[in-house]
Amino acid sequence: MRLIWKLLRKHISIFELSVFFVANLIGMVVILGGIQVYSDIKPLVAGDNALIGNDYVVISKPVKRLNSKTSFSVDEIKELKAQDFTLRLGEFTPAQYKVYGGLNIGGQGFSTYLFFEAIPDEFVDVKSKEWKFQKAKHRVPIIIPRNYLNLYNFGFSQTSEQLPQITESMMKDLELDLTLSGGNRSDKFKGKVVGFTDRLNTILVPQEFIEWSNKRYAKHEEVEISRLILEVENPSDPKLLDYFEVHGYVAEDKPAESNKALFLLQLGVGVIIGIGLLFSILSLIILTLSIYLLLQKNIDKLRTLIQIGYKPATVATPYNAIAIILNASIIALSLWLISKARAIYIGFLAETTGREIEGGMTVTLIAGLTLMVCFIIFNLSIIRHKIVQISKRQ
Amino acid sequence: MSNIILTGVIPEIFADRKDLKSDVWNTDLRFEQGKTYLIEADSGTGKSSLCSYIYGLRGDYRGKIELDGHNIKRFSTNKWCDVRQSQISILFQDLRLFGELTAMENIQIKHRLSKIHNKRIITAWFEQLGIADKINTRIDHMSYGQQQRVALIRALCQRFNFLVLDEPISHLDDRNSDIMRDIILAEVSRQGAALITTSIGKHMNIDYDKRLSL
Repeated sequence: MRLIWKLLRKHISIFELSVFFVANLIGMVVILGGIQVYSDIKPLVAGDNALIGNDYVVISKPVKRLNSKTSFSVDEIKELKAQDFTLRLGEFTPAQYKVYGGLNIGGQGFSTYLFFEAIPDEFVDVKSKEWKFQKAKHRVPIIIPRNYLNLYNFGFSQTSEQLPQITESMMKDLELDLTLSGGNRSDKFKGKVVGFTDRLNTILVPQEFIEWSNKRYAKHEEVEISRLILEVENPSDPKLLDYFEVHGYVAEDKPAESNKALFLLQLGVGVIIGIGLLFSILSLIILTLSIYLLLQKNIDKLRTLIQIGYKPATVATPYNAIAIILNASIIALSLWLISKARAIYIGFLAETTGREIEGGMTVTLIAGLTLMVCFIIFNLSIIRHKIVQISKRQ
Repeated sequence: MSNIILTGVIPEIFADRKDLKSDVWNTDLRFEQGKTYLIEADSGTGKSSLCSYIYGLRGDYRGKIELDGHNIKRFSTNKWCDVRQSQISILFQDLRLFGELTAMENIQIKHRLSKIHNKRIITAWFEQLGIADKINTRIDHMSYGQQQRVALIRALCQRFNFLVLDEPISHLDDRNSDIMRDIILAEVSRQGAALITTSIGKHMNIDYDKRLSL
């Protein structure tokens, strides 16, 4: 192999290979960086487990006067379900009893009346293993809107020197003392925040818990549904807007905003990844041409080697080695650069948003390795094609 | 017993010539392992074409060439690699050595495919052919006659049933030509192979089994 290498390394242009290396490195860093930034930012914009693609709309009836009826009738819900724009529909079940919650932060006690609601699990955008009511232990998992925490951090905590700012993970470690009362009963429960939602503007508990507790503490059995969540393809669909208008329903716009942000993020990252791909494809063309040129310059030697009994696969080995080493080192280097850059921006991101960035580089790693394999397969196949062409009888 | 059979073979460019008188073209011809053949020809009669056809480098002929009963036009690239590694060895008229490699490296690059000889034999051939001092000299720094001898050694560095030599002594004096003949005959007989050699006048002094006029 040493002699083959000695024979064929002539004409290898360090300049051409360097151009390819740099161009492809830039392309790779842009593509993989885009993927990494996207996977880091997406949870901030879209919630822990937001379903990409479809949107959610929460609707209710406006309060017009004191004691006006704002609940949905069974027929109204049935009609809504039958509409084309409705993919799925979920009902908000409110707690029909009093909830008193207490919290201890840094030695400071907090207590207030609370209000619980539940929706079917498939509409909850936070997935947690703890999302289960433990009746025996009197423990209730709770999901709160993310902006409640912001309200605390930038409101209460700013105005009181004794109250520290708290992060999401600190919040998850705290226990709430809950007192549920109604129907001549009063019981103590422990509440635990298991996640934060961007989609739902309410304090959520599991549906199972609401059903159980309403039976236990509620004065009347009829549960009135005042809010509905709809999964729709497009929240700006004119048919949907007309329908709401005619029936006098109001959509809460918060989730749509977050989906808009997600859309902008996807668009931005899409453009970045597109540019990265363009770079990589151009660099791949440079490498392809460079290898073709190299093979062309060595064509007589390659032909002679095959004529004295060498197999095309053996003759291709040095070129395959160049392609594999180049592509592998480009991926390794770009992943390294991204991990370094990420270490810097992640701290900045956590600081500005007050939230912890979960997850790692797995997606980027998989994307990088997939691209590397594709590039190598492409390079190897053009080398093979050219050498087979050379070895054909004239 | 290995053989090469030519049936009505004629180069495409000669196909329309009616006046062609040849012992090779457009006849039935059989090369058998263990025999020696001399193909004599004037320039331009297709001597190198014949070598290229037999060795699978070109396919611009009519008729059929069979190696051990198999039509060589159907051979795949990899099959040809096997044939060129263990059945047919050739000394090209234009030598086809690698100019930037030394004489010994040119031999090694071929010999590593089969490794049939020990280094002592190869060095002995260099000595017998008077180019021992050129072993580590780059090919492009050697004369054509010296290169021709290196190319011969390379051709001997593999297993073969047929050794095809295209004008092997065109640039050699009589003394070197005789030395080359002795080496060739010894190796051909050791391997039990056939020798097919071409010439445009000057040829090695051998008692050929068959002399053909192209």
